[in-house]
Amino acid sequence: MSLSSFMQPDGRNLSKAGITLLMAPFFMLIGIAFLYPLISLLSISVTEPELGFQNYERILDTPVYGKVLLRTLWIALLVSILSLFLAFPVAMAMVSSGGAMAVFITACILLPFWSSVLVRTAAWAVLLQRNGIVNDLLQAIGIIDAPVRLLYTQGAVVVAMTHVLMPFMVLPIYGALRNIPQDYGRAAAICGAGPLRGFIEVTLPLAMPGVLGGFILVFLTALGYFITPALLGSPQEMMIATLISQQLREFLDWPFAAALVGVLTLFVTAITLVFSRVFRFDRMLGGQV
Amino acid sequence: MAGAEISVRGLEKSFGQLKAVDDLSLDIPSGEFLALLGPSGSGKSTVLMMLAGFEVPTGGAITIDGRDCTRMPPQKRNIGMVFQHYSLFPHLSVLDNVAFPLKMRGEAKAARRRRAAEALEVVRLEGYGDRMPSQLSGGQRQRVALARAIVYQPRLLLMDEPLSALDKNLREEMQLEIKRLHSELGVTVVFVTHDQGEALTMADRVAILRGGKIQQISPARELYERPANLFSAGFIGEMNMIPAQWDGSGLVLAQGDRLAPPDTALIGTAPTGAATLAIRPERLRVTAPDAPGALAATLEEVVYAGAGTLLIARLADGTEIRARIPSAGLPRLSEGERIGLAFDPDALLVYGEAAA
Repeated sequence: MSLSSFMQPDGRNLSKAGITLLMAPFFMLIGIAFLYPLISLLSISVTEPELGFQNYERILDTPVYGKVLLRTLWIALLVSILSLFLAFPVAMAMVSSGGAMAVFITACILLPFWSSVLVRTAAWAVLLQRNGIVNDLLQAIGIIDAPVRLLYTQGAVVVAMTHVLMPFMVLPIYGALRNIPQDYGRAAAICGAGPLRGFIEVTLPLAMPGVLGGFILVFLTALGYFITPALLGSPQEMMIATLISQQLREFLDWPFAAALVGVLTLFVTAITLVFSRVFRFDRMLGGQV
Repeated sequence: MAGAEISVRGLEKSFGQLKAVDDLSLDIPSGEFLALLGPSGSGKSTVLMMLAGFEVPTGGAITIDGRDCTRMPPQKRNIGMVFQHYSLFPHLSVLDNVAFPLKMRGEAKAARRRRAAEALEVVRLEGYGDRMPSQLSGGQRQRVALARAIVYQPRLLLMDEPLSALDKNLREEMQLEIKRLHSELGVTVVFVTHDQGEALTMADRVAILRGGKIQQISPARELYERPANLFSAGFIGEMNMIPAQWDGSGLVLAQGDRLAPPDTALIGTAPTGAATLAIRPERLRVTAPDAPGALAATLEEVVYAGAGTLLIARLADGTEIRARIPSAGLPRLSEGERIGLAFDPDALLVYGEAAA
């Protein structure tokens, strides 16, 4: 078979065979490293210790697991909202600034990726510990008299996860904002819209694809997040990923852990479907206006 | 509704070292259609941006209807504007786009829908209100942009190369449409273009800009027939420019001819020494090379183009000279032939500067 059979006659676009060839390694990876383990895990959840839904019934019957699930959803939502409010101004500044300033802001956004999530999470542990800088600062300005517990709380998890996940909110919003032609803002202004009005009536609606794209990216990532809640969170206030890990490693209860994975997968799928139905997922990823 | 009266005094805009607009003064009477014409980088768009309020001048003043607008933000100016790429809001329907300025002015929903529909009628797009901008052709989008710009009856309408994105036929149709709207509404229009044909066709007066300064501002006919300087002469239409010497009463060409143009041919300051003789190609006629008063030249190329024929000839000193002659009645000419180019004295323009 010659190379030309992988191309369309126009010499630019790939033929079906070409597309298949390019995607093959990726699909193999997805199949071996994601689909196969997921399916075998999910099958364990309904076949062991015996055939049936008893593992799922256990989740439904035990209030503490429901609480973990709700808490996970709540923290993911909180992290997404906080990220949005932090990211939008940054994305606006990136679009408005040119040259060296834009490079500097982009570098600041990407800088954290140079270190691992583990390091960044550990850094928060250093900051938030009993004699850490945050406690020192709060005492120095007189808000508290004695060191308070900041580490191993839900607050610590939310703050650190927001820090880690915010870049995933900035980039889609930046993409959407950058696609809005400069003349739209001018057109709004000459039509009589002041800066705030123009933002609400024109910029915001046109940035929505980026906002929603960033939001589900952060929300879905936060739902299954492990390292940060495991290191900074309180064992009494677990999130679902830490619960799954606990079931696997401490209780070696694979079938039950698999059932938890099943519930998490169900939530992620349901949320993705709802978003794609309501907000036109295809347009969101393109960040088109 | 009468158009706005605009006065621009000593306007300046610098971007760092670059002076985009340099001490520019301009008066636009109520209801005039003024075209700002110039090559890119001439400052024409910057002038428009300052009239709109998108750029703040670094010097000078802009007065609209007696009100100092130099530093007024665009949303307070009550000006209509049509942009080069339409700039319709893609998330709003056609009707909502047109109603947008009325919404910003706090008009009630029913009233603004009615007025937006009326404005769409004015631009002949009645019934298109429910469509989205992406469903319209380029010409229709520009009509919607026009409707959005006039719906609140501004006294001044700015247009930033509004037709440059359209193909030729559509462009000519829209030129007439905009002319019609201008005379119907009586609004003052400032129109930026780099297309001289467009400027000559549409505008009451044309201002030619170069290097942030106005080179000439006159009605179309005067601009074409008596360009104020060599830049205008070369910029508008085709112009033969023949280097010459002024000997006190007449012109001596490099190949020896001596011409005594009428006083009216002299433009600007009286020439001394180096001068330029300018003549439009369509003002030349073909005669015998030894005919009295004709310039002898060697024919280099004959380009037949239907109604007219373009002759490219060269004078003895190497100056290229072009003539556009009606094809009917033109004798058979062959390349390399010696011909004479004759002209009426009133076709001559003499500039006291050397051609670049």
